[in-house]
Amino acid sequence: MSERDKEIQEEIAAHLELSIADKMARGASRDDAERAARAEFGNVTHVAEVTREAQRGSGLWLERLAQDLRYGWRALRRTPAFTAVAVATLALAIGANSAVFTVVNGVLLTPLPFRDAGRLYAASYLPTDLPFELPPGLDDRLYLEYRGHVSRFEQVAGYQRQALTLSGAGDATRLAGARASANFFEVLGVQPALGRAFTPQEDQAGNDQVVILSDRLWRTRFNGDRGVLGTTITLDGILRTVVGVMPPGFTFPAASEAWTPLALRLDAGNSFIFPVVGRLRANVTPDQAKSELEAIARAMPQDPRASGFHPTASIIPLKDTLTTHVRTSLLVLAGAVAFVLLIACANVANLLLIRAATRRHEMAVRVALGASRGRIARQLLTESVLIALIGGALGMLVAFVGVRGLLAMAPAGRIPRIDEVHMNGWVLLFTLAVSVITGILFGVVPAKSGAGRQPQEALGQGTRLVGGPHHRLRSVFVTGEIALALILLTGAGLMIKSFLLMRSLDTGYDASRVITMAVDLPPIAYPDAARLQAFHTALLERLARIPGAGRVGAVSYRPMGDMGIMGDFWVEGATPLPHGFSVDKPTVSPGYFAALGIRMVAGRDFTTADRAGSPGVVVVSETVARRLWPNESAVGKRISMVEPPGPNDWLTVIGVVNDVVQDAGLTRHSTIYLPYLQTTSPFFINHMTFVVRPATGAGNVAPAIRASLREVDPAVPAQALQTMDQSMMDTIAEPVFQMRLLATFAFLALLLAAIGTYGVLAYDVTERTREIGLRMALGATPGNVLGMVLRRTAALALLGAALGVAGSLTLTSVLTKSLFEVKPTDPVTLVAVTIVLMLAALLAGYLPAQRAAGVRALTTLLLHE
Amino acid sequence: MNEPRGLSRIELLQGTLDLIILQTLRWGPRHGYGIAQMIRASSADVLRVDTGSLYPALHRLERQGWIAAEWGTSENKQRVRVYTLTAKGRKQLERERSQWEQLSRAIGAILAPSPEVES
Repeated sequence: MSERDKEIQEEIAAHLELSIADKMARGASRDDAERAARAEFGNVTHVAEVTREAQRGSGLWLERLAQDLRYGWRALRRTPAFTAVAVATLALAIGANSAVFTVVNGVLLTPLPFRDAGRLYAASYLPTDLPFELPPGLDDRLYLEYRGHVSRFEQVAGYQRQALTLSGAGDATRLAGARASANFFEVLGVQPALGRAFTPQEDQAGNDQVVILSDRLWRTRFNGDRGVLGTTITLDGILRTVVGVMPPGFTFPAASEAWTPLALRLDAGNSFIFPVVGRLRANVTPDQAKSELEAIARAMPQDPRASGFHPTASIIPLKDTLTTHVRTSLLVLAGAVAFVLLIACANVANLLLIRAATRRHEMAVRVALGASRGRIARQLLTESVLIALIGGALGMLVAFVGVRGLLAMAPAGRIPRIDEVHMNGWVLLFTLAVSVITGILFGVVPAKSGAGRQPQEALGQGTRLVGGPHHRLRSVFVTGEIALALILLTGAGLMIKSFLLMRSLDTGYDASRVITMAVDLPPIAYPDAARLQAFHTALLERLARIPGAGRVGAVSYRPMGDMGIMGDFWVEGATPLPHGFSVDKPTVSPGYFAALGIRMVAGRDFTTADRAGSPGVVVVSETVARRLWPNESAVGKRISMVEPPGPNDWLTVIGVVNDVVQDAGLTRHSTIYLPYLQTTSPFFINHMTFVVRPATGAGNVAPAIRASLREVDPAVPAQALQTMDQSMMDTIAEPVFQMRLLATFAFLALLLAAIGTYGVLAYDVTERTREIGLRMALGATPGNVLGMVLRRTAALALLGAALGVAGSLTLTSVLTKSLFEVKPTDPVTLVAVTIVLMLAALLAGYLPAQRAAGVRALTTLLLHE
Repeated sequence: MNEPRGLSRIELLQGTLDLIILQTLRWGPRHGYGIAQMIRASSADVLRVDTGSLYPALHRLERQGWIAAEWGTSENKQRVRVYTLTAKGRKQLERERSQWEQLSRAIGAILAPSPEVES
């Protein structure tokens, strides 16, 4: 007991003593006086308590909160089953939200790890009306002009991602890297941890044999040796001096391991487009920077070849340029997982309503004892927030596991900034906030209705109450959660249907068991077409000798790769190309079609006789043949890749093959194939993919493929040594990732909605046991009763499903971009998920229905009399 | 069992009790029992202050600085807590008094039989 409590006790004792003395002075006996004094005074403990409260004044609410919490905790412990179910439901739902938030926070919200990153913007001046999307950037000439005149930005830097082959130190490997202007690091506000950045002199073509390493590359390949500064390493066959090492964590752009100078070399015939980043001056808006870029670009002399293009200027936050393509899908996932939480809320609210019904007596007694409605409502709300907070705490554990799962499921290299996904203080704060809001959300209706009862009504009615006022509320919650579950199911259903269509897509080639390996041949070692061709011929010969190799071939850009060459061409006889008609132009080896299972429709395949010096030949795909020569044979027709064609530039069509799906767009492309032995430009054959279709029954030939490459040139690393199936899966990795997550959340939603439906119907049946018994006594069969409960289930589910379908029709359009050949309003999917949902609901209703049918007429009547 | 809606009853009681306590202490320091007896006596037995209201009110007024308390000894050698009106409390009393007088004049005017109706 505290000093203050003692004082109050003493004061009360004094009061009683004085009162007794008074009464005795008026002639009462000691005993009578004592009794009278106590009666007059009233409840000593109560007075002490209220006096203590008055003394504390403003500290009171804290005291009450602590009391509410203690009381709530006791109440929760009294109903362990309820508490366990509610906490588990919330832990799952809040945890899933925290996990998704962790990813959203790391990828979309966390500022880039650069100094004052909010002022970094990408400048872009490119056509936006092209059939494909260009990443933001400037062309080389505009960049040089802009760099010299820009005033809205402190300065601007150009960079370009590149893949590099590192050879010499250990096995040759491919590295992600970038070319960067001298001021690139300064613009980003990051300086090398060791050594220095590039000098402007090193940013000049011909003087640029320097490199800066990432911390990771420095540690893994060079053992973190400071002596590496000033030494040379071989990148793409070029010796470069290491001048710096970046601090840990700096990998911009996109997981770069090495940076070389941008060192622009203008080409009279081409322009080169690359991203440009700038640091906006203080108090300058992006709009002002945009007007300036526009003005500078318009003042440039117009390239006549670009007359058909309509470039527009834009100044985009640098962060957004990294995350545009995942933004929508991440937000869709965040929305989906929020739905799961809402469903969980509805479930827990229903549990609370049911529990409130069993606590009617407790509440009525408290009201009768003088607790105000507000106090009881606050008590109930404290209880629900307490449940949510416990759920949230466990949810952090769920999120911890969930984030790991998400990262493991995420397609490698497809989600930007994935390294920055961590559970941190923001995630904790988010979870806390979501828990409190959740607790209030699911607690407020039960708290209001729980506290709003008249005590005499509740006390008097006992357990005879039929239906009850919560009956309708519970139905509303169940209907709502069924509707939400249906929306999620529709989303997942659409993604699954889209996925199935992708998987069953006839690609035009036979990918089964085919293994591919890509190589990039550095220009230093392979400066001309002859040397490149010699490499390819040698490797093809070695591959063909692998036991069980079956068929082998090579292609410059394989289907389902991440690159391709597209363009137009000219047809003999001045036949104009159909408007907008452009073709893929891969270069292939003889045997490529057979190796990949592409069918010859007419004519013949290339042979080794189609080489330099022999007549130029091409193979075209069916659509090319049909579009250009609709009613005649394509074989024997002539086309040219050069404009205007000289007499030796004509290429004769020797064969027709079927169209193939080339890229993530998953549509068949029109293609013109060129033989690698006739190619004169190194550009078309310095990247090559070798294709091996192992003979039936052959074991794993991948090691032998790698060994063959090492025999031909050990300095060339094998890339993407994998099956075509794997390549296909890589191509559709993003929608698959999204599908898996949506399906997971939809399943969770379905499960929760089913549990919710079960809970409400089970309680209904319990509440109506007497009524059911009466019906049975009056002649209803168990079948009637079963039907009655199932009808109620079906009514709830149908109403929920109808609302859900309406919701789906308005919401699923956010998936449009992720769907392949499925409309967001696909009726088949809607019908299918509605059926799944109805079945789940009926299953959930069947158990209580069966119990209702088992009610024996006599027992129930006896039980309640 | 039904409480009337709102807080008016409690507020009014509390405010009035404060006024009465302050007024009582104007005649000199007193302990809790003495205050209760005095109120009862001076209201001709009409007002009986519930101890459950009196003691919280005393401690609250003390916290607000309108009255001060110290331990003393009663006439019959009982150790008691004695309350005194402070200067601040005196001002508060005047304020509450004038408010009360205004209020009771107003209520009186409303309840007083109107001469026009009477005539």
